[in-house]
Amino acid sequence: MEILERMFNVALIVATLRTTAPILLVALGGSFTTRAGIFNIGLEGQMLLGAFFAVIGTIFSGSPWIGLLCGVAAALALAFIFALLVVTFRANEVVVGLALNILAGGMTVSLLKAIFGTRGSIFGHGLVGLPVLRIPFAKEMGWFGQMISGYTPLVYVAFLAVPLFILFYKRTKLGLYIRVVGEKPEAAEALGISIAKIRYTASLLCGVFAGLAGAHLSLGYTTMFTENMSSGRGFMAVAILIFSAGDPKRILAGCLLFGFSDALSLRLQTFGVSSYLVLAVPYVVALAALFALSYRARPRIIQETLASMGRALSVKPPSAAEPPALAREP
Amino acid sequence: MNDRISALSGQALAIMIALALGAMVILAVSESPLHVLLTLLDGAFGNPERILGTLLQTTPILICGVAACISLRGGLFNIGIEGQLFMGGFAATWIGFSFEMPPVLHVMAGLGFAAFAGLAWVAIPAFFRARYQTNEVVSTILANYVAVLITSYLTINIFKRAGGAPDTPPILESAYLPQLFSFSRANWGLVIGLVLAIGAHFFFTRTARGYAVTEMGANPKFAEYGGIDIKKQTFFLMLASGAVGGLAGGIESLGVHHRFMEGFAPGFGFDGVIAALLANGNPLGTIVTALFFGALRSGSLLLEVDTTASREIITVIQALIILAVSAQILVRRRATDSSAGERRWKF
Amino acid sequence: MPRAIELRSITKRFGSFVANEGVNLAVKRGSIHAIIGENGAGKTTLMNVLFGLLQPDEGEILIDEKPVVLPNPAAAIANGIGMVHQHFKLVPSLTVADNVFLGMEILKGGLIDHAAQIARTAELSRQFGLKVDPTERVGLLSVGIEQRIEILKVLVRGARTIILDEPTAVLTPQESRDLFETLRGFVAKGMTVLFISHHLEEVMEVSDTVTVLRHGKEVATRPTAELTKSDLVQMMVGRLVSFDRRPRGPVSGSRVLAVDDLWARDDRGLHALHGVSFDVRAGEIVGIAGVAGNGQTELAEVLSGLRPSTHGSVRLGETPLTGLSARAIRGAGVAHVPGDRLVRGVDRNASVSLNLLMGRQDKAPWSRGGIINRGYLADQSKALIERFDIRTRSAAAPVKSLSGGNIQKVVLAREFSGDARCLLIDQPTRGVDIGATEAIHTEIMRQREAGRAILLISVQLDELIALADRILVMFAGRIMGDLDGGAVSEERLGFLMAGVDEHGHHVEREMAS
Repeated sequence: MEILERMFNVALIVATLRTTAPILLVALGGSFTTRAGIFNIGLEGQMLLGAFFAVIGTIFSGSPWIGLLCGVAAALALAFIFALLVVTFRANEVVVGLALNILAGGMTVSLLKAIFGTRGSIFGHGLVGLPVLRIPFAKEMGWFGQMISGYTPLVYVAFLAVPLFILFYKRTKLGLYIRVVGEKPEAAEALGISIAKIRYTASLLCGVFAGLAGAHLSLGYTTMFTENMSSGRGFMAVAILIFSAGDPKRILAGCLLFGFSDALSLRLQTFGVSSYLVLAVPYVVALAALFALSYRARPRIIQETLASMGRALSVKPPSAAEPPALAREP
Repeated sequence: MNDRISALSGQALAIMIALALGAMVILAVSESPLHVLLTLLDGAFGNPERILGTLLQTTPILICGVAACISLRGGLFNIGIEGQLFMGGFAATWIGFSFEMPPVLHVMAGLGFAAFAGLAWVAIPAFFRARYQTNEVVSTILANYVAVLITSYLTINIFKRAGGAPDTPPILESAYLPQLFSFSRANWGLVIGLVLAIGAHFFFTRTARGYAVTEMGANPKFAEYGGIDIKKQTFFLMLASGAVGGLAGGIESLGVHHRFMEGFAPGFGFDGVIAALLANGNPLGTIVTALFFGALRSGSLLLEVDTTASREIITVIQALIILAVSAQILVRRRATDSSAGERRWKF
Repeated sequence: MPRAIELRSITKRFGSFVANEGVNLAVKRGSIHAIIGENGAGKTTLMNVLFGLLQPDEGEILIDEKPVVLPNPAAAIANGIGMVHQHFKLVPSLTVADNVFLGMEILKGGLIDHAAQIARTAELSRQFGLKVDPTERVGLLSVGIEQRIEILKVLVRGARTIILDEPTAVLTPQESRDLFETLRGFVAKGMTVLFISHHLEEVMEVSDTVTVLRHGKEVATRPTAELTKSDLVQMMVGRLVSFDRRPRGPVSGSRVLAVDDLWARDDRGLHALHGVSFDVRAGEIVGIAGVAGNGQTELAEVLSGLRPSTHGSVRLGETPLTGLSARAIRGAGVAHVPGDRLVRGVDRNASVSLNLLMGRQDKAPWSRGGIINRGYLADQSKALIERFDIRTRSAAAPVKSLSGGNIQKVVLAREFSGDARCLLIDQPTRGVDIGATEAIHTEIMRQREAGRAILLISVQLDELIALADRILVMFAGRIMGDLDGGAVSEERLGFLMAGVDEHGHHVEREMAS
């Protein structure tokens, strides 16, 4: 009982929200490209580059806010190259995405060495993180106040972005067009909506959020840059995007699942479970979710077929149209 | 033949553009590109020992490259070769230090188990790809992280040898993969790699199954119409690719390190995938691209000593080359084939 | 009466192929004008020219008696023309109102005003009698309602002349009647309707004027009231001049392919085959006639194992084929020339000889012990290229470097050179020039003489009349009639294709097929 109490308390919720934020930001970014019909495996690299340049910008300007802008700009540059190659040159999305990830990995380490003459990680050098926001009167609100107060700003941005994203896809022209381009490009073309323009816009918007996610990693979640510090969060985001189909609500649910498994596994560590196994938990959860949900996708297709049959049959009495027996179903 | 020449010259042009961009990056980290190039060349080919060092680096890239070619040829992306390499490396090491066997048998058992471990590691993503079209790019990438962490766990929490270093116990000498020359760790793995590459080329161009795989990659509807079982073939092709990836790990542990440790063979799996992509899925071409990447890696060791540049600058160059080539292939294809740009990746 | 639309001697060529040749068309304002003709007669091309999707090579377009140039659909829309395409372009996850207003959203404070869009859609829907629920998601709706949405899209953009391309091809009879009702309503409001069709019945029922196109030319334009159905068939089909019936001996072979009460669904899950039964004997060519989309493609796919059947049986000789994989059916002795040859029939980037190998790469002597016999493949490729007169640089040239007719010869060479007892041939000469067509016909006849059982699916009647011993006419997934290929009356064929059976009853299309 005592163990359970130590495991599940407000601190766990706080930890979950903290670990959810970075992956939520990058997954929300990825929803733009996913919904525009682009498979963007390059999120990981955009996030990593964003994290690195956020640190560089902060060290050289002294302001984490300028650092944040630098991180976003760097991720945007990578997103632009992605769009250029994938949309204009029609290169293979997987190849370009992977190459950009490798580019980001190599570039951050090389620049780290070139600028600071060191490897591994960088902290100090006047690096300051984003300030922690304390919500007034939070203290008086007890556990709830504890839960909602005391995060760095990008945590709030990540969670507040979810309803804005829902609004964006439902109520704005751009959001609508992104969905149309991804779902039915012929319809967009027929109405004179430029598919290329929309896909560029979606890629760049994606870059902004991947950059924010990176900046949050290096200036909010921690205050340092480490080689490959995105550590697969971009890929997990892609897994979430695959089974959420880019829907903000489902993205939030998926990210909370990872945040929770991450936070819970970090607690397991305090009980003496090997850190290697603990670190593997989020990846295993991502894989399990990916497989489980692709398995479930099948019955849905069958359901849709049945539904469309039902529609067709409702036009006239079913008896005449239906063969006596179904020997084999597709 | 003309098509071939124009394709190759296009590829060469793309590489030149990438190298020019790479030179700019090197300038950006305040080094002379020429100096870096000469250092790389010196480090890769400066003396016989360095040449063998290059071959040592080439071996795992080549084998992983062949593994990638196998999946690419059938239109599949096994990006999880890194993970299969780690699993295979650990599996072979385990056979190497846990059992006593006669020399040749011990090596074969180790490599066999390594291949099996790679195969087993890819089996679940392969099954879901074949049966439910689950995106294998993401599933195999995520599996990489798990493989690295699991092998680290096994190494450090279960099998850690006495003493400080985070290693497994060394393998018995009977499990050593023999070296090619007395003065270098370059070993028979290189020969195995060359045989695999040539074998894969033969398989794809001369055998009925290889033909079926190639057509599945080129036009799955045509293959299906011709009576090829796409699901079954997808599953087994991924398994084969994983087995070769596992074998690469086994060769690395039995031939080079003679033990398993954290950070066992970093990036070889990814380099293999890139080498295969650059060779357009052709196993013989992968020999050349793997040698190229092996030389870059080996040269970069000296780079770190002689210049202020980091050896990761070579991964930047590799990435630039892939980007340039991927754009260039499609420019050419678009000019001749209006169906280009057809996307496999849609969800 | 004023003319809403006038086309003057429109000519449109695609390479050497002339799709429209000097076509004149005058459409009176406030009338329903039908354009009728067989597949490939140039109806859709003509409408695409009018909607600005294609530019005519010669000729002139007048709208409201003023000459106009229509460089793109936007210009056509600006001139009050709207088009409802045969294939709908709706976004399934959006609501009806969102689809109607897509591209011209009503905004309030920068955000889409869904309420206003819904209200406006409901208002239009009432005004024109197009019953829809503006708040429903399109993905859940039937084809008939989807069509109403497409019409609403056109109306909301202010069209006064509406073009409908084969509007009833996907509709149930009830939905078709509703549509005609709507169209009459438009005309009553002073709008003009132009609709393309090859269904005689509905042209007779709904149109005021008919223009008949044949082989890209205008054959006649008459008030519908002055015409009978048989006049229309006569004008649509014309004299059969292109191909003469090939001389042949009598069919005496035993039964090879037996299809009994076969049912199957199409990609949408709707019944594409409604209890199809027939036999094909050795040395016999059985033709399947019918307007495209009446289940012929699905029939070929089911017989070749690429699509599952839901009921019924298929036998080859005594071997049951029902439920077998494509591979097993091939192995049992069925060869298949697919209708979509560039998608399924070949790997465009592979060489001619590798394309000739497909499907038998596992069989001796093509391969031995799993190794491809390259010498045999080279010899066979050379022999087949010669025998089928495939015009190619070499056997190593990629298939995409060949012309359409020669690509088809590659497919035929592969499928005919095996030991199959039964050949499924789908649209053998679609998009193939006259010379190659002659050669392909000769080859098919040669296969007949060799004693193979041949099922020939074609939308070209003259091809069937030239080749088939018997012609089965398909309509809405059913076989309407079994005609002797040597004594077929064009008129009868036309009626059966339009869904009118021997006794003059119109068979209803029970569901979209």
